[in-house]
Amino acid sequence: MTQTRECVVLPALFLTVALLGGVRVGADLRLHPPPLLALTLGLLLTAALARSGVVNPASLMNDRRTALENVSGLIVLLSLYGASAQVFNLVTPDAGLLHGIFGTFFFVQLLTTFASVRDRRDMLRGLVVLLGSAFVLRFIVLESLYAPEGGSLKRVLTALAQAGTLGTLTYQANAPATGYLAFTALLLYVLGLFLLYDGRGQTPGALVASEGSRHPAIQPSPTN
Amino acid sequence: MVRLAGAAFACTYAVLIVWLYASQPRNVAEVTGGLAASIGAYRVDAQGFQDGRAFFERDQFEEARAAFARADPAQRDALTQFYIAYSFYRQGWGRVYNDDELFRKGLEAVDRAIALAPGNRLVVDDPGLGMKTADELRAELRRGLTREASDFNPLRVFESRK
Repeated sequence: MTQTRECVVLPALFLTVALLGGVRVGADLRLHPPPLLALTLGLLLTAALARSGVVNPASLMNDRRTALENVSGLIVLLSLYGASAQVFNLVTPDAGLLHGIFGTFFFVQLLTTFASVRDRRDMLRGLVVLLGSAFVLRFIVLESLYAPEGGSLKRVLTALAQAGTLGTLTYQANAPATGYLAFTALLLYVLGLFLLYDGRGQTPGALVASEGSRHPAIQPSPTN
Repeated sequence: MVRLAGAAFACTYAVLIVWLYASQPRNVAEVTGGLAASIGAYRVDAQGFQDGRAFFERDQFEEARAAFARADPAQRDALTQFYIAYSFYRQGWGRVYNDDELFRKGLEAVDRAIALAPGNRLVVDDPGLGMKTADELRAELRRGLTREASDFNPLRVFESRK
């Protein structure tokens, strides 16, 4: 189970998030590649996850594991990074002033988290709130505000907002399917983060090494 | 064994994701067609292509494009894309002025045809066509979209559609 989790389940979950993170369904299908902002935020988030003990890179890759085990660990880490970048690609508006505002907010929030949160449970709790709020803002508030079938009051409001910001406050609405896919991607991402932990103070990499009893497992400092 | 299979699965999945983002398919047909083309298994529907040619020769361009789209749903065949571009050219061509929107679509289609052709060179041996290469068609479409002094030459009305 644990080997399967590390080698198959976790990469499959994170890669699926990486795939779904850029899907935009409108008149036709668009795949929005991660902008530089999302790649940077993904790196910051991965570092914050490692710092708080959600993922333990030292147990996934170390000199006591075989080359193949290290490759598995590397795949988990790379897929985690890809999924983290795509999660921000997903919850950030694709262009315009809103892209910059959301990006700045995420950047400051992640720096704060990176500097202050050391506990795995707190990190996960904070991340779920952050991503959940961003999802609601983007896929419920903004999508309904900019939906093409909106009423005249809504149109007046968005026109006023555009005029007030000299046309920089633009947003391209998507079909409802985009929101459902985004919700699925976020659920899979959070599930993957929970599965990185086996409930006994070890990340899967450490458990596999101890189960194989080839080498003593590296024990990360228990966080919970 | 599980590790090896997992690594192979993850690498294949990652390559598929990168390919999808690079090729930007716009519907499921383009995804499946692109995958089939990448392993050399993509085939154009011959009946649809023949229907398209027949419509094209009768100047029924919208019908022709519908048949060509049925023949090449993934837009992976250079020859079909060439005929689609040509249908946009012929439909958009006018003695006094050209339809810019149709010419723009034609340019997109001929660019696709050139990108798909081996060595980016496409020659079509069809006696009914005034332009037999994708390069000529592309140049003609680009000329049609450009505003220049010769557009106002009254002798232009004597030019014929290629």
